[in-house]
Amino acid sequence: MVMEKTLIYNIKLSSVGPGNVTSPDTIFEPGNIDLAMKLHYLRGIYYFRSQAFEGLNTLSIKEPMFAWLNKFPMTCGRLRRAESGRAYIKCNDCGVRFIEAKCEKTMDEWLEMKVEDVNLEKMLLSNQIIGPELAFSPLVLIQFTKFKCGGMAVGLSWAHVLGDAFSLAEFMNILGRVMVGYELSPPISLAQTPTKSTISNGLPKVFKDPLSIKRVSPVGDNWVNFTKCKMETFSFDVTPAKLNDIQSKLSQNGTNFSPFETLCALLWRCIAKIRGKEFEPKVVTICKKSEPNYNTYGILSNSQVVSVVKANFSILEANTSDLATLVKNEESDERKIIEETMQRDCGMADFIVYGANLTFLNLEEAELYKFEYKGQKPVSVNYWLDGVGEEGAILVLPGPKDGGENGGGGWTITAILPENEVNELKLELKREGLVA
Amino acid sequence: MPQQQLVPGKLKLGYQYLVNHIFTFALIPIIFGIILRLDPHKLLNIISQYSLVQILLSSFLLIFFATLYFMSKPRSIYLVDYACYKPPVTCRVPFSTFMEHSRLILKDNPKSVDFQMRILERSGLGEETCLPPAIHYIPPTPTMEAARGEAETVIFSAIDSLMHKTGITPKDIDILIVNCSLFSPTPSLSAMVVNKYKLRSNIKSFNLSGMGCSAGLISIDLARDLLQVHPNSYALVVSTEIITPNYYQGSERAMLLPNCLFRMGGAAILLSNKRRDSTRAKYKLVHVVRTHKGSDDKAYRCVYEQEDPQGKVGINLSKDLMVIAGEALKSNITTIGPLVLPASEQLLFLFTLIGRKIFNPKWKPYIPDFKQAFEHFCIHAGGRAVIDELQKNLELSAEHVEASRMTLHRFGNTSSSSLWYEIGYIEAKGRMKKGDRVWQIAFGSGFKCNSAVWKCNRTIKTPTDGPWQDCIDRYPVHIPEIVKI
Repeated sequence: MVMEKTLIYNIKLSSVGPGNVTSPDTIFEPGNIDLAMKLHYLRGIYYFRSQAFEGLNTLSIKEPMFAWLNKFPMTCGRLRRAESGRAYIKCNDCGVRFIEAKCEKTMDEWLEMKVEDVNLEKMLLSNQIIGPELAFSPLVLIQFTKFKCGGMAVGLSWAHVLGDAFSLAEFMNILGRVMVGYELSPPISLAQTPTKSTISNGLPKVFKDPLSIKRVSPVGDNWVNFTKCKMETFSFDVTPAKLNDIQSKLSQNGTNFSPFETLCALLWRCIAKIRGKEFEPKVVTICKKSEPNYNTYGILSNSQVVSVVKANFSILEANTSDLATLVKNEESDERKIIEETMQRDCGMADFIVYGANLTFLNLEEAELYKFEYKGQKPVSVNYWLDGVGEEGAILVLPGPKDGGENGGGGWTITAILPENEVNELKLELKREGLVA
Repeated sequence: MPQQQLVPGKLKLGYQYLVNHIFTFALIPIIFGIILRLDPHKLLNIISQYSLVQILLSSFLLIFFATLYFMSKPRSIYLVDYACYKPPVTCRVPFSTFMEHSRLILKDNPKSVDFQMRILERSGLGEETCLPPAIHYIPPTPTMEAARGEAETVIFSAIDSLMHKTGITPKDIDILIVNCSLFSPTPSLSAMVVNKYKLRSNIKSFNLSGMGCSAGLISIDLARDLLQVHPNSYALVVSTEIITPNYYQGSERAMLLPNCLFRMGGAAILLSNKRRDSTRAKYKLVHVVRTHKGSDDKAYRCVYEQEDPQGKVGINLSKDLMVIAGEALKSNITTIGPLVLPASEQLLFLFTLIGRKIFNPKWKPYIPDFKQAFEHFCIHAGGRAVIDELQKNLELSAEHVEASRMTLHRFGNTSSSSLWYEIGYIEAKGRMKKGDRVWQIAFGSGFKCNSAVWKCNRTIKTPTDGPWQDCIDRYPVHIPEIVKI
């Protein structure tokens, strides 16, 4: 514990906002599905070698961010409540929180250390949540931690109400582009006053909540999801060779499963084994990138596909390939139902989506390695979630495309599960040969 | 009732015209009289009565007195050009950021935070004012290095811009005056300028510190006096206030006020007494009037730097600041009035004064109409209250105080350099014409009220550079009484 206190030191806080003045009274209204995700937070870390940040001081890191944030005034705003009680974002240029820190280890030492200690990575970003005062809670916090060797970790805290992981990845990629002189198009036009909430007609008469959400007790202005047990995060890598191995064992009837479907099925089975027959997860939620022509307004949105897969057989007794087939073919898109459920409550209900059921988030198509700093790609990227429900969530991230210890390709699996399940899962994975 | 107002208005206009041009009116009949009676032969007879020696001696005497007059006339001081520092957008402080940081820094003093919010709402500042990088941290990190960094950025930017505009080289500068009230390192800021620009070793350099927001005009006054003594010289005056080391870190309300109002800024001004600048210079310095009310204890203590009960140093602004400012202004006006006001106004003022003393003390004191004497007014953008007070006292219209209000909105209170941003605004709006007279009024700790009067030397084309260049089209803006944060 004592070692951790001095591990990250020289922490300095400031704010960075848009360079241009956003016209007064500009607001951004999160949609129903955005508000459905409000209790979740995305945490992401990008690791860069020293060449990316060579010769840059704090001011030169901050400078391009002013032009970048001109395009995203909603990330710099603060939440307010309209007369109806529905939350909206006042684009008052307050800014994103900018945190600088130093680490006494070199980046390689750190990358080794974090394999052993799960909680280390949490020191590279802010673990803040929104609340207790909406008006003074930043929605985005960025931390730049400099390692002894000159390498840098860019740690992000992102309120899910602003957008999904795909939006966040694109948000960061744009920063990389601004740094090398890319000119941004103007931001989307925003409203001046909150729209009056109306109960829309023509909704289905059956008011059943979608399977992918779970209602929680009212949180008020403290946007945090309380879980009965502590949730823990751990990650492991899967090499392409390993995946081929698993896939070859699966596809006996000629069907080809994608890496995500394979891993999803495998992990589903492992977790079912841990939880036993009584508590095995029969329903899982699958989240992945939205279709290319899906109706989105602006770059930041919660447009990701949220679907459920129901098994009407016992998971423990099933083959992994059966599960994979289920994941491949039997998803049922619940986005519209979630929207309508929230609409019925006029945006006031409090749900969780991740962890309402065991959730699998496919980030393969999130262009995580496209965030380049001065032309340098990150050597490693990790994303995880905060505010996950007790059923847990598993993220499948792409590994570095070129280089890295895996020799390119590969995946990183990050699991957020109740702490008592983590060790058991690690054993299970060892048995399957996924971890050493 | 416009009809009733029209008649006295026309009467007043007629009276002003008569009194101001009385000599013309008196002289015309006399000249006519002489011309009509003049007889060339009579004139020649008168001249031939005197011998050659007498004529020569009288002409030498005439020439001698003329020379004496021209020699003792004070040199004309010209303002060749000036440049104001434009802070980068990375230093911008929106209201919401200021308040959020305040809440985090003063988390144990919610009342102080509320106080700051109320001040900010009514301050008249806009969302583009700037603070130096060290003050953006939560809590601020005002190191000496950061303060020097700010001084270098502000001062060198302004001087570089000025040199580019005027085409002078560092070797041309004969006199250097830097004024910065609250940051006074060793070696001085003027030494810093000498070092950076490699100025001549026989430079006359001065560093004025501790003299408050009116130090800019004190520097101009000093430069003027020096330029009387040193012929054919250039004087570089740098006016700025360095915010970094002086940001109050405590929670006393009266001392938090400057944090809400003071912002980054600086100006560099080139003055000259060279004859060849008389055509290219922008302005000619007409008067500088300095009034010091320090002999009065209340005035002396109204802007006072002190430690708060926790030992944190800050500037305490007393509650009677506006009253004292009003008194200082009255004193200053009493001196400057006779120098600038046309005869008509002075006579009226004299009559009302005599009338009040002798006939009826209840007569309203006559406030001379300074709009007769000046086309443009630059009131130090010390705060909204100062501008409101002066607008009321001098009976100025909204357009007269527009430069001051808009400078306060765009740049905040930049202390001694604010007057230069204001003149810059007037030029950027294309309102400065040849012959226009400008009155700069500055207030500062002490308590001092200083005025400078400039006359525009040539009509100034709308500048394509300067701090207002990218935003002048958005101005003037309407500044609400209370801004909703």
